[in-house]
Amino acid sequence: MPPRSRQPAPRPARPVTITAVIDPVAALASENLDDNLYLYDTNKAAGSSGFGTPELHSRVRKGDTLLWNVIPLECETYVALADIEIDPQIAEPTRKVYPGTDIVFWTAEVKQDLTKPVPYRLSFLLGTVSTPFTPTARPALTRPGDQGKEGR
Amino acid sequence: MAQQHGIIVLFDVENALRTRSLDGNTYWFDNMKFLGSVGEGTGQLVTIVPGTYFLDGSQATEQVLNWLPAALGAIPPTVPRNYLAEQERAHDRRTLEQLAALGGDGEVSSTEVSRLQQRVGRRPRKQAGGRGLTAAKLLDVTGKATSSAAAYNYPAPVITDITGQAVSEKIIYPAQYGSPDMVYDGWYWAATVDTSRPGVYPYTMHVQLHELVEQNDELVWQSVDLTCESSLKITSDPKRNAFTGAGLGVLPLPAAPPAG
Repeated sequence: MPPRSRQPAPRPARPVTITAVIDPVAALASENLDDNLYLYDTNKAAGSSGFGTPELHSRVRKGDTLLWNVIPLECETYVALADIEIDPQIAEPTRKVYPGTDIVFWTAEVKQDLTKPVPYRLSFLLGTVSTPFTPTARPALTRPGDQGKEGR
Repeated sequence: MAQQHGIIVLFDVENALRTRSLDGNTYWFDNMKFLGSVGEGTGQLVTIVPGTYFLDGSQATEQVLNWLPAALGAIPPTVPRNYLAEQERAHDRRTLEQLAALGGDGEVSSTEVSRLQQRVGRRPRKQAGGRGLTAAKLLDVTGKATSSAAAYNYPAPVITDITGQAVSEKIIYPAQYGSPDMVYDGWYWAATVDTSRPGVYPYTMHVQLHELVEQNDELVWQSVDLTCESSLKITSDPKRNAFTGAGLGVLPLPAAPPAG
């Protein structure tokens, strides 16, 4: 095993990335995003759960940087994260693009430690449909120690 | 089935490097859920491959599979293929302009120079004998240059081989191909499928991840080789008419119009 260079740090240098994998063709054909949306984050080691479902529970702490992005299963169909609705006292996500591209991601800083799970709502633009798709199921931010669904 | 199957494999690279295993750190997808693939978005995907046959039962067309790896928590594969190189160049250009601006009036403060040195970022060395990675400046997950070995954007995982029962029993014939495709770095793994023998056939994917380590004050990419598994389910079910739901036999035409 090669030597490790990373020292344990109080705050990870990378953001907690929350990735939405979307099958845009199936979502457009069925007009149902819930069955064609798979959410993941990079905080599994901290206890995030609900991987691969639209009800991902991400474990976060005050001061964490969050980053939301999208991976479409069909690279020729347009998919973008259009909006994130969350209690502004917890986080205020801002829309950004990867420098030099029009590929969207959103970032936010967790403003306070959570006392209970905070559900939020994601909206996506798919294909050429101008009305955003919003899944019924809602992901949530949770504090370390909150009981979530078992991670897959 | 003439449509190509796309099989996307999403790797939780951070966890996989930490545990040195892809178990529980690999999420598989394909675009055939509507035909009966199961386990989408989990580590237990079974990809459906409906065969097509002539009336005498012989195989009519060859199903094609394509595998596309991606890293969770990295810059997504939707950015252009040359994105990392473009960003590196743009970043160097900005730093050079600022350096030129500094030298204008004789005195240059060491603080400003060291600030620029910080901005230059770092370029890790490729491991001797390592494959699949092009030497490039470290970028973080938002596409900005970074000098931190803890913040770097994970390079895309590299598929190095596909083996297992599906290959040894000659159900699939996988190989790596060069491609003008701008999304997946010009290389991809694909296979054709022998659909004449229905059944479930597991296969093993060999994947190389890359970890950045500090050796003698130098950053070096270390390759970490791991494997994960998935399955194909080949069926010979009769085709159904997607419009009417009817099976084999004559088309469900209405009865002959009444004689007028």
